[in-house]
Amino acid sequence: MTREEANRLLHAYIDGELDPAKTLELEAHLAENPSVRAACERLREMSAAIRDKADYHAAPAWLEARVRAAIPSGPENVSARWWRWLKPAGAVATDWLRPAASFAAVALVTWVVALGYMRPNEDERITQEVLASHVRATLSNRSYDVASSDQHTVKPWLSARLAFSPPVADLSASGFDLVGGRLDYIGAQPVAVLVYKRRAHLIDVFVWPVEAQKTEQPLARDGFNIERFAKNGMGFWLVSDLNRNELDDFARLLAAAT
Amino acid sequence: MLATDSVLLHETDPVPVRETDPVPLHETVSERKRRFERLVLPHFDAAYNLARWLTRNDHDAQDVVQEAVLRAYRFFDGLRGEARPWLLSIVRNSFLTWLQANRPADTVGFDDGFIELIPTDEDGPDVLAARNFDRKMLNEAIAGLPLQFREALILRELEDLSYKDIARITDVPIGTVMSRLARARRLLAESLGATPNISGKQVHK
Repeated sequence: MTREEANRLLHAYIDGELDPAKTLELEAHLAENPSVRAACERLREMSAAIRDKADYHAAPAWLEARVRAAIPSGPENVSARWWRWLKPAGAVATDWLRPAASFAAVALVTWVVALGYMRPNEDERITQEVLASHVRATLSNRSYDVASSDQHTVKPWLSARLAFSPPVADLSASGFDLVGGRLDYIGAQPVAVLVYKRRAHLIDVFVWPVEAQKTEQPLARDGFNIERFAKNGMGFWLVSDLNRNELDDFARLLAAAT
Repeated sequence: MLATDSVLLHETDPVPVRETDPVPLHETVSERKRRFERLVLPHFDAAYNLARWLTRNDHDAQDVVQEAVLRAYRFFDGLRGEARPWLLSIVRNSFLTWLQANRPADTVGFDDGFIELIPTDEDGPDVLAARNFDRKMLNEAIAGLPLQFREALILRELEDLSYKDIARITDVPIGTVMSRLARARRLLAESLGATPNISGKQVHK
């Protein structure tokens, strides 16, 4: 093992992340090289110093209380018991029910307001996320984790890693070649990304299970075209720098083949 | 980056599909909330710590965490495997959304493939003897690290997460986690005043 390699692997070694074979090799190297051993020691000390001295910021108690209160308690609790709070004040229970009632009221209002806030933004957030994923993959040249033009390779690869099995269509006859697939994380869930190619343009097709069956208006963001549709329980988001007409064609073909 | 000659544990593992608890079939809203409180809220401090280190101030960290936890509740059914890394990945996403809205200039270069690192000798372990680290200086130095190195370091050293979990949270390959940690420690040592040849070794070519 060269010194460069040893130096590079020391981090994984002190973090306990090196595989057993390399660990043995590195330890043999350490036994023979006091200077690398000393470097390893310093690295351990540094890691220990960070663990010991870096601030761990615990959340303020009021924040956790506020967030707990903002989590929707749901309408059914409220509907089951609301009448109790309207009862005449004769019962013993009233005194402790009153704070509970106002708490529930605040929670309900927060919930309703939060719903109003979140619903319309959901699409926008997903748009941003799929766009970011597409751009990131293109910039880093990491467009796919499994490279294959064969739908029967890509589909099982994705199915093995997801809780659902995304449909993978072969559209090469129409000039849209499948080049591979990857995984990503959109809207806080793992999703499948199928990567197709038209000339020099990559098309990312994001797929995940949805309930609603609807087709949305196409979007354009920062020079990228975006198409969305849902079919057979799967939502599809298409992102590409391909022109609008061709991407439309692609979306139609894809929907027909799904 | 290291995919061809994997030397790290779990580097080539497939992404597992694990269920924590099966989602109960007839769960009422309040039962769902209780389950969320039991599984996810114990990690509230971890969420806050990450948000605080990413935003570098209390006020913004509070906003990011609140948004993240409510988002986590909405996507609670998507929870697979352990709750802490899952929650932290949502915190990180919420942070990126917040960053885009509030500090768009800072997003330049973050998660950018071009600055992805090839591990070099430069990232070797020539770090300063740690006993010399002053608490305040150390905290300032960590806060001064570029985002992607800071988050890797915090997740590793303060949350004690595996490379595999960090890779999933930060959405990069495991090999990249290793090179980011190496670079983070290197930068930290430099900003704390260590020089590359402090150990008497030769300066890099």
